[in-house]
Amino acid sequence: MRLVRVSLIACLLVAGFLICQVAMGDDIAVRAKKLHFSTIVLDTHDDTTQRFFSKDFDIGKRNPDGHIDIPRMREGGMNAIFFSIWIDGRIMGPAAVQKALDQIDAVHENVNKYSKDMAFCRTAEEVRRAHAQGKIAALIGVEGGHMIGNDIRVLRMFGDLGVRYMTLTHFYNDEWADSSTAKPEHNGLTDFGKQIVREMNRQGIMVDISHVSDKTFYDALEVSKAPLIASHSSCRALCNHVRDMSDDMIKALAAKGGVIQINYEKSFIDQAYKDAEDKLSGGVVEMMDKLKKECGDNDDCMNKKMNEMAEKATAEGKLPHVSWERIIDHIDHAVKLVGADHVGLGSDFDGANMPEGMDDVTHLPQITEALMRKGYSDEDLRKILGGNLLRVMEQNEAVSREMRAAQ
Amino acid sequence: MKLSGVSKAILVVGMCLSAGMVLTRAIAVDGISERARQLHFSSIVIDTHDDTTQRFLDPGFDLGARNALGSIDIPRMKKGGLGVIFFSIWIPSKITGSEAVKRALTQIEAVHEQVRKHSNDLVLVTTAEGIREAHKQGKIAALIGVEGGHMIASDLGVLRRYASLGARYMTLTHSGNAEWADSSTAKPEHNGLSEFGKDVVREMNRLGMIVDVSHVSDKTFTDVLEVSNAPVFASHSDCRAICDAPRNMTDDMIRALATKGGVIQINYHVGFLSQEFRNAEKAHPEWDKAIALDVQKRCGDRQGCQLIEGDRVTREYVLRGDLPRVEWTKIIEHIDHAVKIAGIDHVGLGSDFDGANMPFGMEDASKLPQITDALLEKGYSEGDVKKILGENTLRVMAEVERVGRELNAAK
Repeated sequence: MRLVRVSLIACLLVAGFLICQVAMGDDIAVRAKKLHFSTIVLDTHDDTTQRFFSKDFDIGKRNPDGHIDIPRMREGGMNAIFFSIWIDGRIMGPAAVQKALDQIDAVHENVNKYSKDMAFCRTAEEVRRAHAQGKIAALIGVEGGHMIGNDIRVLRMFGDLGVRYMTLTHFYNDEWADSSTAKPEHNGLTDFGKQIVREMNRQGIMVDISHVSDKTFYDALEVSKAPLIASHSSCRALCNHVRDMSDDMIKALAAKGGVIQINYEKSFIDQAYKDAEDKLSGGVVEMMDKLKKECGDNDDCMNKKMNEMAEKATAEGKLPHVSWERIIDHIDHAVKLVGADHVGLGSDFDGANMPEGMDDVTHLPQITEALMRKGYSDEDLRKILGGNLLRVMEQNEAVSREMRAAQ
Repeated sequence: MKLSGVSKAILVVGMCLSAGMVLTRAIAVDGISERARQLHFSSIVIDTHDDTTQRFLDPGFDLGARNALGSIDIPRMKKGGLGVIFFSIWIPSKITGSEAVKRALTQIEAVHEQVRKHSNDLVLVTTAEGIREAHKQGKIAALIGVEGGHMIASDLGVLRRYASLGARYMTLTHSGNAEWADSSTAKPEHNGLSEFGKDVVREMNRLGMIVDVSHVSDKTFTDVLEVSNAPVFASHSDCRAICDAPRNMTDDMIRALATKGGVIQINYHVGFLSQEFRNAEKAHPEWDKAIALDVQKRCGDRQGCQLIEGDRVTREYVLRGDLPRVEWTKIIEHIDHAVKIAGIDHVGLGSDFDGANMPFGMEDASKLPQITDALLEKGYSEGDVKKILGENTLRVMAEVERVGRELNAAK
């Protein structure tokens, strides 16, 4: 009896504790949700642009595949998106310029088509205005300096067409900058590359150092008058991939006021996955090459195949499972390293293999909740979700105004 | 030379006298009546075709300084009261595809760059309203026209982005056929506009871009008139009734253009103005070759230099008596003919400065007030002259913009 009574009390205590915990959990869940859906949630890197050229894709409808469309952005509370302009880094010269122009056009056309839901934005202020109007802010980033056809005038025209950042290289070196995934040719940035960086400053186009070699990164950091961004890179300390940033690089980026926007790609966030993938395919560039043979110029096909391959290999046990919580680890590592002012989100949605539990943009509120559970303040969360990037945009805008006025 | 010496002397004397005295003397010197001067310098004067853009690519050229060569720079535009200029984006029609796109983009940027550099004098505008605003502020309105559909590489996305970068008209072809439209100076391939060519015209309507029918074949012209939802214009063409060049328009074409609300913008090129000049040129094709060779020798691949030198060397042939001398008053004949055919609402100015051979007396933009003076002399009313100088073009622009808005709203 006594025993029964004791166990009953114990039972009640346990139950109370459980209820209490659930209640506490609920509180954070509710608070996180409230915060997430009231703030600007900005993603600096989405390859959805490629899908605009596929007849099967309609950004206005909920799609069974891929990671991004308007209904799912609404559901996930993502209200500011950088559509990435991207073509294979080996296409150069005028052909690259025209293809980039086509993609820039596709972004504008889609924003026009869904102007009730999206607003094209060129400044931080416009992003805030779009948010106040309940619209998704659409911005453009050019992923690879090869698309300007080695011509500073083309860069300026891209700026006029609304391009707000340019990644200096993609997987291959371009005419004036070395990539992290190619053999160095220029020892970082050439003199013309430095001129490009300065011109980007003048134009108010953010310099994006994702993809570039470490030497290019340090060169860009030295030359740029405005803070830089890594639009979609993670932490090398947690996953030793050349596409990620070392702690020293992250510190240097932050010291200059910049932001690292954490990439969700499995092979950039999980060491075991990266190691297994390297064994399987010989690395990310080699894998893309293989897929290119199957898909030709159809980049939507490339992304699909890439995901299918990864899923199959994971199911067969050749690749390890990666949880979405690795994203949190990278954010937290970067924040611990340089503070909450220098970290943001650059998913690589529609262009990378998403970890389990981050199957598409609808899962974004999980990030806010997980960070809140870690004890992040509301203010810090707002910064990470979008505020930091807007600050860097504003600083770039200010530098641009100063440089133009000084002319 | 003598005249300018006299003019200087009179100016010095005049400066010692009253302001009224200076004006009276000035009339005697350049022959422009006070009434014409008043009218000209208070009107919006638009020129829809200037090839000065080519010179922008030459690092030595300064649009802000008075240049010894060529026809256009800011000082001479001001002196001639030219308040609105369409800088032409042009590459030879044999260059197509991505290469054409990249070069066109570079030239559009070169225009933007000049406007930035000379922002005290120039402002880039894209609408009729923008032109009026610039005029009020005393600035020269700079606009962009793309001279040749080959520069879009059969890609509507590229066309749309040219429009967002400020291109306000596109000539459907240049001297060669585009992939989707026949030129007046090439063998027909498409029987006018191809189906895609019709899509291009419709998309231009939607974008509020003026469809320019200069350079195109007669059949292309007819097709355009049928397809276009908005008035079209000929940015730089003359009257075939006076000078029988395929680049010029027949009376029927001018009438059809006018019926649709469009405008013919008169070109000052001697080979389009004067039948006599054209005949002489045709009789001696070897001169044309010799001129081209000479120009090539002086300029190499620099297009801006080629265009300027071409005009200069041709002038040498005239001075030698090989080619006939064409006076600027030929321009007035063409304007007057077109007005008689189509009415006062359908004629304007599209000089082709810096891209053609100018007649004597119309060497550069500073001479423009002569046109106003001559038209008043002919008995044109001030309102009519204003229309020719710019109001007709403004009407077409505003109408094209209205159609564009309507088509977008209907989507």
